[in-house]
Formats: sequence, C-alpha cells, structure tokens
Amino acid sequence: MTINHHPPEDLLADFAAGRLDEADRLVIGVHAAQCPRCQRFIAAIEQLAGAALEQAAPVAMADDAFATIMAAIDEPDTASARAPAASQPVPLLDDDLPEMLRKCQFARSRRVAPGVKMQPIVLPGADKSRAFLLWSAPGTRMLEHSHTGTELTLVLKGSFSHQGGDFRPGDFDFGDGEVDHQPIVGGDTPCLCLVAMSGDLQMHGWLGRLISPFVRL
Amino acid sequence: MEWAELIGRVAAHGDRGAFKLLFEHFAPRVKGFLVKTGMNADAAEEIAQMTLLAVWRKAAQFDPATAGAAAWIFTIARNLRIDSARAAARQAKAAVSAEQHQTPDVMDSPETMMTRRDDVSRVAAALERLTEEQSTVIRMSFIDEQPHGEIAAKLGLPLGTVKSRIRLAMARLRDLLDD
Repeated sequence: MTINHHPPEDLLADFAAGRLDEADRLVIGVHAAQCPRCQRFIAAIEQLAGAALEQAAPVAMADDAFATIMAAIDEPDTASARAPAASQPVPLLDDDLPEMLRKCQFARSRRVAPGVKMQPIVLPGADKSRAFLLWSAPGTRMLEHSHTGTELTLVLKGSFSHQGGDFRPGDFDFGDGEVDHQPIVGGDTPCLCLVAMSGDLQMHGWLGRLISPFVRL
Repeated sequence: MEWAELIGRVAAHGDRGAFKLLFEHFAPRVKGFLVKTGMNADAAEEIAQMTLLAVWRKAAQFDPATAGAAAWIFTIARNLRIDSARAAARQAKAAVSAEQHQTPDVMDSPETMMTRRDDVSRVAAALERLTEEQSTVIRMSFIDEQPHGEIAAKLGLPLGTVKSRIRLAMARLRDLLDD
C-alpha cells in the first residue's frame, strides 16, 4: 500500500501526547497502524515526552503508595487482558475492517443521501467529535461543503478525489473551516471511509442549502 | 544503573529490589508530570500508582531496543490517563441513560503501536539533529501542554514567532525522519 496523504504533524503530536478526543484518536490510530512513516513521527514525540518525564519536577507520593502497589502485585491481573473483538449486535457496512475497528461497538447504519450510508461508532469518551463509517456508491458526487469544525477522513476501501488530490486506501484527508471541497467517489468500487467529525457540514449551492437540513452526519 | 536493566530484572525474575528503585525514581516524576499538565494531585497519585503497577506487570513487554525506559513509562501513563477520562465520561453518560456500553479501549495496549526496530535508529538520529530550540518548542506545546501565549511569554517572543517556530520545528522533524 502506498500512502500519499498523511495527517498534519500537530494531530500526530497530539495523538502521541494523548490529547486527542476519542473519535480523532481512533482515526489517527487506524491510519498510523498501517503507516510506518507516521509511526516514526509518533515514536519521536514519545521519546521527547520520555525526556520531559525524566526531567519533570518530582511530586512526593503518598506514604503508603509503594505498599499499595506491592499488595496489588500479588492480586490476579484482571485489567490488562487484551480487548477481544466486540460482538456486533448490528450488521456492519463492511465485515472486513482493520483490527482496531473490529474492537469497536457500532450503532445501526442508516442512509444519508442517495448512494451514501453511514454507521456510527459508539465512543463513550468522545467529547467534541463523533466517529462513523461512511459508505458511498461508485461515482457518488458529494455536495460541495465546508466545515464548522474539523473532519478527519481515512480511506479504508475504494477511492475519492477532490481539489486536494486522489485519496486511496490508507490515505488521510483533513478538512476544517477553511476547506471547501466537493469529493467525487472513484468509479469502479464503493468507497468506505472512517470519519471523525466535529461541528457540522455547511452545504453550498442552492441544492445544498435546500437539502442540508436532511443531511445529518 | 540503567533503568532498562532494572525493568529487565523485574521481567526476568520479579526482582522487587529493582522494582523499588524504579518506583522511587519514576512514580514521583509521573505524578509531577501529570500535575504539571493540569491533573489534580489525588488523580495524579492514582495514575502514578497504576502506572508503576503496569510497569511490573508489563515488564516482559518492554523492549529496550525500541524505546527508552522513560518513553515507555510515559506511554503507559498516557494510556492510563486516557482510560480514566473515558471511564469518567462513561459514568457521566450512564447517569443520564440506563444504556451502558462496555466498549474496551481499542488502543489500551502500548504494544499495538510499538515501533519497528529498524525505525529506532532513524528516530534517534532525527531527534539528535533537531536543534535545542526546536525540541524545546515541541515539548512546551505538545507535551507540557502550554498554550502558545504562555510559551511566548516564557521565551520572550511574539506570539506569531512562537506559532511559526512550532510549525517549522514539526515540519523539520518530519523531514529528518523521512531522510
């Protein structure tokens, strides 16, 4: 897989520092899991964080802290069992998902517009943003739109293109209030994306303004 | 005494003496780091204790060839901080809706993101070539979580200069890693 579009550096750094909202963290995590280049960047920030930890001014621990830990050591470890794939009570838009997504809990999928379906991911810790799978039929022309918040998109299958270039599996697209784009899905296969979105879409053109009350992502 | 070697001893034969040294050095630093980035002292104490407990339990997963001890311990503390924020959010939501989802964190295990060994030297070389000034602004902004205005005041620079300096430092780190 050749990845041509990567997340902006500040998102990778916030990911490494543990500062991203849960939905954004999921999209960056799924991208990084398949992108050695971004893994290196994250590892570099983690090294800098390790140096910062090493130099942090120590704050005294509670008197019984060490004893508490030593007592816990002898207890069976229940917390760190690896998360199994979640059993899905609802049918998925696609059964062949990356490992991190297979562990997620999904809500029921629904139709957004002709040829477009979405399936929300249940994230209890998500604060400002939400995550979902977005499925579009081949050749779908999305409405020209911009964002009031941010939109992080990772292509899982198929492709789309807009003014910013062609986006194929593994590619990452970042949209914010300054971006005004009209993605077109590639003609051969459906396009499946993982999206984290904060704020709302703003549709443009008379058609967009007309239907925007009905487009709910 | 190298920290990595102590972690190795904990992994190899549950060496409690080695673990005590790790605790005495890292627990107060994890706590200090969390307090500095805005966490209250009680929560920081709890996460620092959980971090050291995880150091004991995951010691065998630590690979000194891929991460420094401090960076590894940072990732454990970071993930525990994320987990505790998720648990708090889940509780807050469960209070309003009876529906409580058991969703495991998909990134709870640091090993899912473990760097490949051949990347380690590239990362080290890139960090080596970053200037002091560049690593300082990256650290202040992303790791110490200071607002740009605060960084500007501390460095005695205009806000615009701080912003462009951070942006340039990040781009340079990316370039150095791509070399």
